[in-house]
Amino acid sequence: MEQIQKTDVIVTEGVTKVYAADGIPVNALNGIDLTIQSGEFTALVGPSGSGKTTFLNIISGLDSPTDGKVWLAGKVLSEMSGNELSDFRRDNIGFIFQAYNLIPVLTVEENVEYIMLLAGVPKAERHARVIAMLEAVGLKGVANRVPTQLSGGQQQRVAIARAMVSEPAIILADEPTANLDSKTGADLLEMMRRLNEETGMTFIFSTHDPMVMEGARRLITLRDGRVDTDEAR
Amino acid sequence: MILKIAFRNTFRQKRRTILTGLAMVVGFTLLSVTIGLSDGAYGNIIAMFTRNRIGHIQVHREGYLDKPSLYKTINNVPAVGEAIQSVAGVEAWTPRVYGAGLGSVGEKSTMVQIIGVDVARETEATRFDQKIVDGNTLAETPAHETVIGKGLAKILSATVGDEIVIVSQGADGSIANDVYKIVGIVESGDDATDRVGCYLHIEDAQELLVLAGRVHEIVVIVSNINRVDKITSAIETQLNDSTLDVAPWQEVAKSFYRAMQTDQQGDAIARLVIMLIVAIGVLNTVLMSVLERTREYGVLKAVGTKPAQICWLVICEVVIIALGSVCVGAILGVLANYLLSIYGITYPEEITFGGMTLKTLYAEVNIRCLAIPAITVMLSAAIVSLFPAIKAARIMPAEAMRTH
Repeated sequence: MEQIQKTDVIVTEGVTKVYAADGIPVNALNGIDLTIQSGEFTALVGPSGSGKTTFLNIISGLDSPTDGKVWLAGKVLSEMSGNELSDFRRDNIGFIFQAYNLIPVLTVEENVEYIMLLAGVPKAERHARVIAMLEAVGLKGVANRVPTQLSGGQQQRVAIARAMVSEPAIILADEPTANLDSKTGADLLEMMRRLNEETGMTFIFSTHDPMVMEGARRLITLRDGRVDTDEAR
Repeated sequence: MILKIAFRNTFRQKRRTILTGLAMVVGFTLLSVTIGLSDGAYGNIIAMFTRNRIGHIQVHREGYLDKPSLYKTINNVPAVGEAIQSVAGVEAWTPRVYGAGLGSVGEKSTMVQIIGVDVARETEATRFDQKIVDGNTLAETPAHETVIGKGLAKILSATVGDEIVIVSQGADGSIANDVYKIVGIVESGDDATDRVGCYLHIEDAQELLVLAGRVHEIVVIVSNINRVDKITSAIETQLNDSTLDVAPWQEVAKSFYRAMQTDQQGDAIARLVIMLIVAIGVLNTVLMSVLERTREYGVLKAVGTKPAQICWLVICEVVIIALGSVCVGAILGVLANYLLSIYGITYPEEITFGGMTLKTLYAEVNIRCLAIPAITVMLSAAIVSLFPAIKAARIMPAEAMRTH
């Protein structure tokens, strides 16, 4: 694995995850070997319990594998401390969660600004980027609202804006359209595709949504914690 | 931004925030009142003990305090007195002569302590005249009069108008004896002294004990008892006499001072118990709050918030509530102490401490009533929030985000 190419943003080798559910070991992932290159627009599909979310969590350092290794932008995640992982996620990964996971006490603008604040981006630049991003996701008029004052689709747009505002190399999205109606889902997918094409960001989705699957350029099917199929489109 | 989140988080669960804050406010106010009453009581006792009896500072011949002797005297009293009076902060001074003897009234005899006082100065310094409960105080010029303690009067079955024969030993080795007319009965507040005390005009005492102008003690009263150490040093410098000892009241009445300190330590334990009860209550609510927000902490960590920042967030939330509580508690504490300093609490029965009788307990409003509870509440809030904060900081994001 020493010859990781520059374009290989995510490389996994024998990634295994075993959960202990009521003392009984459950294999969520069974030795996954995958390479994802920069600029990909990849969908992880498979039935519930196939390991999609677990795989996304592990490749982003939100969870640790029981066995195996993950290289993210050339770095081994398991060798990083808690602080290094936080910094790495902040600088390299944008998350879009199925349940939006916005910070409830912050306004839309503050939610989007938060990561840049952590990264120490100057105030003027932060402000300009937040405005631009909210405009891009069509939320300019709700900048001062808190998440509970928004619809599901609007909240997911905020989550997308938050994920992309710091221009990370990778966007990981866990069922991003699951809680949205089909039109909002289609709009969001279109927006992400556009951003992928314009900026070259790497997008990896877990999804059950046929529309997202249709839009993906690479479709990886997981089954029982293993890669079942892997097709480029 | 962490501060902003912490601040806004405190308003999310208003009822819980109010309850947590209320626990802190009650703790603060209780602490403040406890300290106010304690300081008031001790301040009162110390004021009575020093102002009425031993003074704030005493000057003796070297070694007199450790081993009193008829022969250890201060010889040039006017010069020493003048030097003492010239020190800033000295309000008054008064010389005293001490001796032991046998006092007899009629057929009854007992041990007496001869206390020679300068009537005018003693009245100014220790309000001697106000302690006379029967008869009159001594005349300002020597007239072979005496004022005896209430206890001594009882032992000798003596009343005002009786004569007392005092037999002692003069400084020259001669047998000293004389007859004095009892003109008053004194109640100094110190039962032990009142059982033996026999006050004479200082010149009568010097004549009896053959001390001619010499005294054993000079009692100094200062205008501010809190500056007693500085004034003691200033008097030492001013006197510049290695044969004289200058001691603050804490040294003069060591056992009394130690008893006070021990008693105050007991109060500190009571305060600790109050704070522990409050802290446990606060810990419980903070732990609940962290548990409820596990998912949020997971999200914050997922998007790049460092563990230390999560830790800081939790501590900030508690400290913000603590700050608000300190402000409210300070108002209530000062108000309660102020009212107690005016109206006080009347004891069901009089209590005696160090020979002093107290009828009403008054609080004192001072900086300690605010500073100690404020520091205690803030510190305990920070300490109590540490455990939940570390717990929140160690959350594994993926696991945390699975919770609801």
